[in-house]
Parts: sequence; C-alpha cells; structure tokens
Amino acid sequence: MLVMGEVQTGLLQNSGEISESACRQVLGLMAGETVRVSRRPIVHALSPERLTGVDCALPTASRSRIRGVGTVVTRCAVTGGRVAQGSTYVRVVRSETDRRLPWSHYLARPGVVEVLGKAKAADLAEGFTGDPAPGCLDLGAVSGRFLDLVQASPLLDRRAPFKMARTSLRWVAETGEPSIRFTLHTERERTLRLTHPGPFTPAVVDLCEDLALHDWLLTSLLVIVERARIGATPGAQAVARLAPAVDHLLHLWMPAARVEEWLTPFWESLERRPGFTRQWRSLVDRVRDQVAMNTLALLTAEAGRR
Amino acid sequence: MLVFAISDKGGTGRSVTGTNIVYRHALQGNDVCYLDFDFGSPTAGAIFSVSAVARGTRDRNGLHEYLRGECPQPRRVDVWAESDREGLRTRPPGAGRLVLLPGSEGGGELSALTDELIGRCAQLFGRLEEEFDLCMVDVSAGRSFTAELVLAATVRMPAIPFRWLVFHRWTRQHIIAADGLVTGDDGLLDVGARFGHDPEVLRDRIRFVRTAVLEPDAAELVGLRDEQRAWLSACDSELRELARRHGVGRTAMLGKVPLDPVLQWREQLITDEDVLASKIANAETAAAFDELAKKIVDDSAWEGL
Repeated sequence: MLVMGEVQTGLLQNSGEISESACRQVLGLMAGETVRVSRRPIVHALSPERLTGVDCALPTASRSRIRGVGTVVTRCAVTGGRVAQGSTYVRVVRSETDRRLPWSHYLARPGVVEVLGKAKAADLAEGFTGDPAPGCLDLGAVSGRFLDLVQASPLLDRRAPFKMARTSLRWVAETGEPSIRFTLHTERERTLRLTHPGPFTPAVVDLCEDLALHDWLLTSLLVIVERARIGATPGAQAVARLAPAVDHLLHLWMPAARVEEWLTPFWESLERRPGFTRQWRSLVDRVRDQVAMNTLALLTAEAGRR
Repeated sequence: MLVFAISDKGGTGRSVTGTNIVYRHALQGNDVCYLDFDFGSPTAGAIFSVSAVARGTRDRNGLHEYLRGECPQPRRVDVWAESDREGLRTRPPGAGRLVLLPGSEGGGELSALTDELIGRCAQLFGRLEEEFDLCMVDVSAGRSFTAELVLAATVRMPAIPFRWLVFHRWTRQHIIAADGLVTGDDGLLDVGARFGHDPEVLRDRIRFVRTAVLEPDAAELVGLRDEQRAWLSACDSELRELARRHGVGRTAMLGKVPLDPVLQWREQLITDEDVLASKIANAETAAAFDELAKKIVDDSAWEGL
C-alpha cells in the first residue's frame, strides 16, 4: 500500500567530530552486526537495523480506527562524525486475514505492518503526515529512543559546541507518477510526500534521510546566524557567535551524496523549488563575509595603532 | 546545564524566583526551559501567565503522564507565543527561547520510584540538554520522591552538568531547615550518596538563595523608629551568625532576592516594564534576578567551598 517513516536528526553530543572507529562503536547497537561505513564524499556510518514489534492503531485522517500488527525497522546514522540520525520506517500492507496471526508470521516479514480490516492508502498517508492522534503508531518515538541510545554512548563527552533542537521528518512514499512535496510545519517538524516509479526499495529511505540531514543543517545554520544578531551586535561578537558554524557545519553540505541515480531527480526538483542549496550558499556567503569584514576591521585597527 | 530548584519549606518563593531567573536568562540570549516537577501543585503556568496551563495541562500530556509512560513526549509551551500577558507575548530582540513544560492538573505527588520512571526522567533531561542552555527543574518543597527521582536520574548521566539551588527565607527556622534539607538525615547529600553520588562533589554543586530578604538599610525601613531599626539590625547579625554555623552563610550563597511587594501579593514575572513603566516593582528585585541568572552559569561562583 505505502511506506511511511520518520527521521530524527540532531547534533552528536560531543565537543568535536568523532573518528570513523568511534562511529563504529557508537553505532554498534547490536552485538555481532557490523556498522557500514562509506568514506566518500563524506564519512557516513550506518548502524545495523533493529526491529520493534508493534500492535496498535495506525494514524488516519478520517480518525477511523485501523489496527496494524507487525514490526518496524530502525537504524541510526552518523554523518561527518558530527550529525546523528535515528530513522524508522515500515511498509504497510493488507493482511490476508482479519485476525492477528502468531508472531512467527510477523517476524518472518521484518519491517512490514499488516493492516487488519479495511484501510485506504490515502487515508493513512494523510493521517500520518497530518496531525496524528495520540496513541497511534508513533515512529518518531521509536526513532527518538534509538537516537537517545546513540547520544548516551559513553564514548561521547556530551560537551556539544552549541545547543540545537532535533528536527523530525515524517515521510510517506507510494508508487505512481513521480512527485515530491516537502512541507515545513513547526520549528522542528517537517513532512515529505513522495511518489516514485517502480516498487519501493531501501534507497527511498536513504533519500529521506539525506533530505532530513540537509534540512537540519540548513535549519541549524539559520538558527546560528539568527543568534549572531549581525548588525545589532558589535562585529567581533557576531563573528564569535558564528564560529561554531564555521568549525562544525559548513563542510557537511553534500546534497544527494548517497542517493541512488534513479532518485536524484527528486533532489533536483527540491533544489529548483524551494532551493535548498541556494539558501545554504547565501547563508554560507553571509557567514564568510562577516568573518572577512571582521578581519579587515582588525587589520585596519592594527594599522592605526602603528 | 540542569538546575534543580528546591526549598526547605513551602511558601519560600521558590517557583516565583526560579521562573524569574529563567526569564532573565532567556532575556540574556540563552535558550531556556522550565520543568514544573512540583507535582502536588503545578502552578508555573500561572506565573508565566499562560492561562491554558495555569494549574497544569488537562490534555493528558503533562510531565505526570510522560513520566508514567502514558505519552511519548511531554507538552511544551512556548511562553513567548502563548502567554496572555501583553509584555511577554513578543520575544524581545536577542532573547532566546523560553519554553515551559507544565505538570498535569490534578496529577498528584509521586508515590513511588520505579526503574522505568527514573529511566524516562533521565531520557527527558538528556534530550532537553541537547537543545537548551539552561533547564530549570522546580522540585517542590522539602524531602520528596521527586527529589529522589532527579538525584537517581542524574547519577545515570554523569556527563551532563547539573546544579542545585536551595531557596530559603531569611529567618531562624528557615536557615535551620535549609541546612537540614541538605545535610540532615534523608537530606540531599544523604539520599544522593545512597543513589551513587559522591557527597563531596554533590556538596559543591549546591548553593543557597535567600528570598524575600529585608535589608536593614532598605528604603522600606525609612519610616521605622530607631529602636525598631536597631532591633532589626541585631536580628540580622544574629541570623548571619546562625547561617554561618549551619553552612548556609555567604560562601555557600549564590544570591539573595529582596522583599518586593509585587511578589508578596501576586506570583508573576517581573518585566522591565513593571520596573520602568508602571513602576510597580522595585529595580533592585529585577537586578537581583538578573544577577542570579548570570551567576547560575558562572563557574567562578561555583568553585569548591
């Protein structure tokens, strides 16, 4: 029917970025399973997948009660040794019976939730990306819990260079005529509706995680620039407040770095509208201009003293 | 930084002082949140003038329900957006976020500590610490399960910095009670050690705040007779000696808040407008909150005793 997921993204709670080997340990959520690491164009570490069993109501726009039983898949990622993500997704399918089957049935289908009774894909999609009623399947709570595990790792010193809220991206993917819709809701919540040609593959999850990562980077840079109060505070002070962005964020922008070829048109369409990279570039220029202006002011002051 | 606000007895002005410190800290450009862990009477909403949660939330998503595992995330109230007070409803330029996590109306005190409860509390603290510069937790008055809960939760997160503020009034009974709350049987140090805190380290993370203090040279006392003033002055030095003996003296004190008529009659935030425009509050009171808001994160005020 459809696939839905939620990605939570936040700053890794460590003073500096962590090494590849530290990533492997921080993400070793399951003994015996390896952490996958890719090094180009940016170090990206992905934890083994963990299953969570669920038997609960699914969110619907019509508020009709639909019961789903099965398992959801969660994985965590660390990008550039600096940004941590918890990502949970589930494929929702119709059950062939109207009653709950033994758990062995669901365990043989990891990452699938079967719907007992009647349900419309559109109703579920609207419900999940809309305002889910309390008590329904909450993939964000699952992602958040695993992200907490990563952030509580004894390898991290918890002295992050700046405070930043996590963002959450709830997404729904269906098969059909290609389209993508990215919506900002509150300060921390975003939704994504994606229709892709061909059947679902985990590459779609990669795309959603990549979008969530870049949305968090952009959101965080906006917050840091706002906190700097450029123009309202003395130049040196503003630059000092911008420093964490230069030290920890600016080099992490790699849109679509890990997105499969057939899905890149989706990223490209978001680059046209609303234009993620355009906004990022303009912010980065603003930060660098501030640093340059401040350097110039310091040099001028120095020359004046001689 | 987590800051736990506790008081020896009720009616010391713990909540009103704590909220005002948090408000000043936000004005100083920091992102702050206030957690109403005073489960018996969650009234922080009223002090922030958010009428929807004046006595806690009614939507089954307060801190009570969160800690009991009945909702995945506790409700957050953005005070700059949801306060009913005109002077609070716009975020002043340069101010940080000001967020209230209300308790639940009719929630009641905690009746027991469970491992799940401590785990959820630690998880909440960990998450808030990721995004806020300062999280102030209002831990109600006296010895309680709530105080034990946060002592147990902080043991689980050794890397997260925390501090305690003990609020007390400047009277004989309050000085003795404040000392007892920290060093007495089942006091903070005693219970903390039982949960695995190092009492020496914990002692260094506790400071006292005196509330509703009437200084012998205060403007309010101008009309007093000489005999009255002499008597007050004698009392004050007696109390200072008592405080020193009980370890509640100047060195362990983070600051004091003067007696202010506004706070005696209504628990509220003291804005600059209250001081400068309507002039109902004293400038000294606002200055005291401002000073405390700075000292709370100033490491030199927290060096070992």
